[in-house]
Amino acid sequence: MSLDVYYFTEMPYHYIDDELAEQWPSLRLTFPNSYFDPNKATDLFKRYLDEFQYAEEAGFQGLMINEHHNTPSCMDVEVNITGGILARLTSKAKILMLGNMLPTSDNPPRLAEEIAMLDVISGGRIVSGFVRGIGVESWANNTNPVYNRERFEECHDLIIKTWTTPGPFRWEGKHYQYRAVNPWMVPVQKPHPPAWVPGTGSPETVEWAVKHRYTYAAFLTEINRAKQLFGSYREQAAQQGWQAGPDKFAFMICAHVNETDEKAQESGKAFMWRMGHPLKGPREYWAPPGYFSQAGVAANAARRQKPMNEMSYEELQDNYHLVVGSPETVIKKLRHIKEELGIGSLLLEAQGGPLSHEDTMRSIKLMGEEVIPALQD
Amino acid sequence: MVAFTEEMVDVGGTKVHTLKGGSGEPLLLLHGAGGNNGWLKSVDALAEKYTVYYPSHPGYGKSERPDWLETIPDMACFYTWYLETLGLEGVRTIGFSMGGWIASEIAAMCGHSFSKLMLVGAAGVKPNNSEITDIFIISPAQVLDLMFHDPAQAPEYQAVYGKDPTPEEAMAAESNREMAVRLCWKPYMHDPRLTSLLKRVSIPARMVWGKNDRIVPVECGEIYQRTIKGSDLVVIDNCGHSPQVERPDDFIKTALEFLA
Repeated sequence: MSLDVYYFTEMPYHYIDDELAEQWPSLRLTFPNSYFDPNKATDLFKRYLDEFQYAEEAGFQGLMINEHHNTPSCMDVEVNITGGILARLTSKAKILMLGNMLPTSDNPPRLAEEIAMLDVISGGRIVSGFVRGIGVESWANNTNPVYNRERFEECHDLIIKTWTTPGPFRWEGKHYQYRAVNPWMVPVQKPHPPAWVPGTGSPETVEWAVKHRYTYAAFLTEINRAKQLFGSYREQAAQQGWQAGPDKFAFMICAHVNETDEKAQESGKAFMWRMGHPLKGPREYWAPPGYFSQAGVAANAARRQKPMNEMSYEELQDNYHLVVGSPETVIKKLRHIKEELGIGSLLLEAQGGPLSHEDTMRSIKLMGEEVIPALQD
Repeated sequence: MVAFTEEMVDVGGTKVHTLKGGSGEPLLLLHGAGGNNGWLKSVDALAEKYTVYYPSHPGYGKSERPDWLETIPDMACFYTWYLETLGLEGVRTIGFSMGGWIASEIAAMCGHSFSKLMLVGAAGVKPNNSEITDIFIISPAQVLDLMFHDPAQAPEYQAVYGKDPTPEEAMAAESNREMAVRLCWKPYMHDPRLTSLLKRVSIPARMVWGKNDRIVPVECGEIYQRTIKGSDLVVIDNCGHSPQVERPDDFIKTALEFLA
C-alpha cells in the first residue's frame, strides 16, 4: 500500500532564545514584534523555500504549508501566498495547504477564488485544507470564538458552492451575505480540489469530516488517541454506508533523519525549540471562552496526560511526536505508524526551530532516497 | 432577611429565572458579565423598600437563551419584552457593570421602561484616556483579583468567592463567561452609538463608581454623567468594581437616597 509523504515546515523565525522567551507569557499573540528583524527573515524565507523545492526533487509526494499569526514560530502568515510561490517553484508535488482559516475570514468567495487560482497555476496540484484556527487565532484576528464553528461551517459551505455551482448566485447566510457570487476563477480539479481538515480531538470535527468525506489529519496526537479518532471516523462512515479507506487519514509528526542514530539524536535536538516556548501560554490564549464545546473540553482533558512542552526529548520520541534516527530507525518507526493507523498520508515536519540548512537538506535527501521508497510497500 | 421567591418568567417562550422579593414599588436589578450572585446583603436591603426583580439574563444561569439574542441591544430589546410580560412600566432600575450597559440601552431605546436609572461601574461607553480591562483574555482568578480594591472589607467575599466551586458551578461559570463573550466580544464592552442615543434619556440618573475600579475606569462614569442630562456621579473611596459587594453600606446608602 502506497503512502504519500509530505514535507512540512512552519518556517520559524527561530532567533528567539529561551532567556528572552521566558520574559513573556507566551511566544504567541503578545510577544513583541520589535524582536523581528525583516532582513533576517528575508534570508530565512529564501532558505525555507529552497528546502521546499529540494523536497520535491528528493522525492516527497507533497509539500505542506500552514499559517499562524503573531508568533515567531511560524512566519507563514498567509497560506495562499506561500501556495502561490510553491505553485510556480515546483511542478509535480501536491501542495497541501492546511490550511486556510475559515472562521477568521470575512470573505469566503475571495478565498474560493484565491485557492482556485492556485489550483489553476499549479495545474491541479492543490489540496485545500480548511481549519478553524487554534484558539489564539481568535484573539489575533479578533473573531468571536463563540461563532468559530458556525463561521467555519458557513464559510466552507459557501466556498464549496462557489466552486461547484455555476455563478452568479446569491448568498444570504447568517455570517456571510453576497449579491452576486460569480468569481471568474474556478478550480481545475473537479468537482473541486480535495479538502482536508485537521483535528486534535474534537468529536465534532471527526463527525463533520465524515459527513463531507474529507481527509482527517491528526496533528501531533498520541498514536492511541489517533487510533480512536480514526476508528470513530471509520465507524461513522460505515454507519452511513461507505467504507473509509487510507486516503481519508493523515498523520502529522516531526521527523528528522541523519546518517547514524547518534548523529540524528544530536542534530534532532533542534526540534526542542519548536516543542518548547511556542507551545506555552496562558490557558485563555489557547482556549478563549466559547472556542471549545463542552464535548471538545472533555476530549481535550482526555487527550494527553502531559503537555508536549513538558515532555523530554526522549518522551517526545517515545510518543511518536518526534521521530529521529538513521534511515533504518526512522523507516521502522514510520512503518509502525503506517500499520497502526492505516493512513494514506504522512505529514513530516522535517524542519523545526534552529535546525540548520545543512542538517535539513541532508535529512530531506535521506528521506527521499531511503525512507520514502521503503514506506511504499 | 427579606423572603424571596424564585420563578421562571416566560417571555415569548423563553424562560427567565428571576429572584423576586420585598414589597413596595418595583425595582429591577441587572447583573454584570459574571452572572447573578444571588440574594446578597445589598439586594436584601433594597428589598426592604422595594419589590426587587433580579433576573438572570437570558443565556445565564438557569435562564434560557433565544437563538436570536446575540448582542447587548438584543438583550435590551428582550428586557422591554420582559417588563411588558410582567406588566411593569416606569420602574426603577440599577444596572451593574455589563448590566449597566443593558440598562442604558433600554433607557435609550424605550423612554417609558424606567423612571430612575442607576449605573454601577457600568460598561457600554468607550473611555478616551483609559481602557476597559479585557476580562476575557485573563483568567477568572485574575478578573476576581482586579475586581476588588481590598477584599478584606467585603463582608460577603468569603461566602461568594471563598469556596472552591463544585463541577456544576464551574461549568455554569464557564457557560456564563461564554455568554459574555457572545455579547461583548467586539466592539469590546461598548456600543459606539450609545453616547449619541443617551442624549434622549430624560429620567433621573445616577452613576456610582468605586474610585479604584480596575475593570471599568471611573472615566466611563464621567462620560455617562456628562452625557445623560441632569445626572450625577457618586465616587466611593477605597472601593473597586463592585461597590455593592465591597462596600455594601455605602452602596445601599447612595442607592436608597437616589431611588427614594
